[in-house]
Amino acid sequence: MRPSEPAHPLLRPWYSEASPADPVLDFARLAGQIADFAAYRVEEDRAHAGRLDRALAALDDCAPEWETLRDRAEQLSGGPLRALPRTRPDGCHTCAPRPATVTVVATDGSQIFPDRHVDPACYLLNVGRVAIHYGTLDPPLIRAEPTLRYRQQDLADLAEDDAEASPLDVTSEVVSALRDELELRWLFDTADEERRSGREVVAMADGTLIRWMLRGMKNRRLEAQLISRYVAELDRFREAGIPVCSYVSRPANAEVVNLLRLHRNEPDWDPAPDSLRGLQDRHVFASRLGAGERSAVFLSRSEVLKQYGDHRIVAFYVHGCAEVGRVEMPEWVAEVPGWLDLVHAVVLDQCEKGGGYPIILQEAHERAVVRAREKDVFYRILARQARGAGAGAATYSGKAASKRAPRV
Amino acid sequence: MTTSSPPVAEVIASSTREIVAEVYAEAEVPAFGSWVEVETDDGTVLYGLVSHAETGSVEPGRQAVALGADYDRDRIRREMPQILELVRTTVRAQVLAYWDKQTRDGGRPRVRQTLPPRPAALHDRVRPCGPDAVAALAAPFDVLRTLARHPDPAVPADDLLAAALRNLHAAHGGGPDGEAVLVEAGRALARLLDDDHERLQSILRRVR
Repeated sequence: MRPSEPAHPLLRPWYSEASPADPVLDFARLAGQIADFAAYRVEEDRAHAGRLDRALAALDDCAPEWETLRDRAEQLSGGPLRALPRTRPDGCHTCAPRPATVTVVATDGSQIFPDRHVDPACYLLNVGRVAIHYGTLDPPLIRAEPTLRYRQQDLADLAEDDAEASPLDVTSEVVSALRDELELRWLFDTADEERRSGREVVAMADGTLIRWMLRGMKNRRLEAQLISRYVAELDRFREAGIPVCSYVSRPANAEVVNLLRLHRNEPDWDPAPDSLRGLQDRHVFASRLGAGERSAVFLSRSEVLKQYGDHRIVAFYVHGCAEVGRVEMPEWVAEVPGWLDLVHAVVLDQCEKGGGYPIILQEAHERAVVRAREKDVFYRILARQARGAGAGAATYSGKAASKRAPRV
Repeated sequence: MTTSSPPVAEVIASSTREIVAEVYAEAEVPAFGSWVEVETDDGTVLYGLVSHAETGSVEPGRQAVALGADYDRDRIRREMPQILELVRTTVRAQVLAYWDKQTRDGGRPRVRQTLPPRPAALHDRVRPCGPDAVAALAAPFDVLRTLARHPDPAVPADDLLAAALRNLHAAHGGGPDGEAVLVEAGRALARLLDDDHERLQSILRRVR
């Protein structure tokens, strides 16, 4: 083939190697599409600005009689999820400075998903847990808690007496759910162990407390079981009187926007050209909240919360130093006098220290994350131990074995 | 040779020529040009001269960033304590001598001023040498020969020689005994440096 005629990547034999002079991505052919994309973005930006203006106008308009709108939203069933404000939805609130001494705890989790090529299925859950006693010289706790799970029985216990359900597979969905549960369990244990008398404690989770991702699992009983175990963890926080919250970075929620759409009497599913649809809550509050301010508190109406018992999840938006983030907590946390301010102040301080994202969650993530190299080491140790214990060499499928030790 | 002083560091990389050791968080960092010892599993004691020390992030991917002028040491301890958990200090020591823990000369340990037969193991503990051990690393000054002729390329050799001589002086009490051993060492060094007086003078100036 002459160099001037590079073959289409799909036509090139799979074993031929790409040389640096032979880029896989054909930028010349992509250029036109990138230009189109740029034009599309300009158009989208203009549409977005229009939506934002209309949303802010709707927010101002609905605020004086917000209770009427809330009641209307509460009575409606169906349609997109709409947040229910607990106070005037256009309110912007500052908070008192963070207490001079406060204990903040956080966890984050990661996992090694079951490898389809390894038998029996096993997976690793790794939870990073951090506790920092701000304003004191108490040493911080920074630790990871790895758990290897492999027993079929563990899963069977989760969905017992569900005879008609298909045999349970350890899907990545299930592993993720179990990891979330473990994160919350460690969060409570850490907060409980590290709290000191006379000092406030705040427990902070990463991401949402609303386990909407559990909805739509094929096995309904498993879903219910996972949710009830998650809720049981929330119970422990309430019994111990520990404020628990979570921080959602770049939240994609549009529940407040949907409330504004209701105020504008927009049709639910068939939006007019001037609809607010496509806008997110954070866009609205980014235009309204001053640096450091929080929004009103909104009650989430996510379907899954029907199984949360009395832990209804509420949220506020906060303008940290780099973004508008969403802070979620059970409603009872928001009702304890002073706790809303405490959570707000702690989140702000955390974002400031972390350059826009809570520093303690960054630290917990660093402890939790399992990197590719560690994953390789994990499987290597697993194989070596299995051989040592006489488990036979058939732990890997042929394909996986060939990848791990390619022949020359 | 007493190994009574508590360990200050732990071997994290090892060869017959040098060790790298992580200094325990609460311990004092062994000084540049000071002697450290490592007792290995088979009883051999290795002696190394600290030729480099550095402080940095535990994880290679994580770099320290400036916190701003309003973060003094105390505020960091109270408000950013996790940072201190991520910092570690490591020292590198050139292994220059060993003692097999058996051979003695008139009751005193016979330290061989040459490289050991085997390296220290990872996680062996590192202690600062007491004055007795340092004194045993003096005459016939073969350690100086190794230092002068086969220096660690990453370390300014003459500064290390000067620091080693200063410690030798101190280990002999610093007084007239110290002066005497320093004169002796200076002679040995002069021969090693092929009578390069300029260089020798420069090293000795740094000792004082």
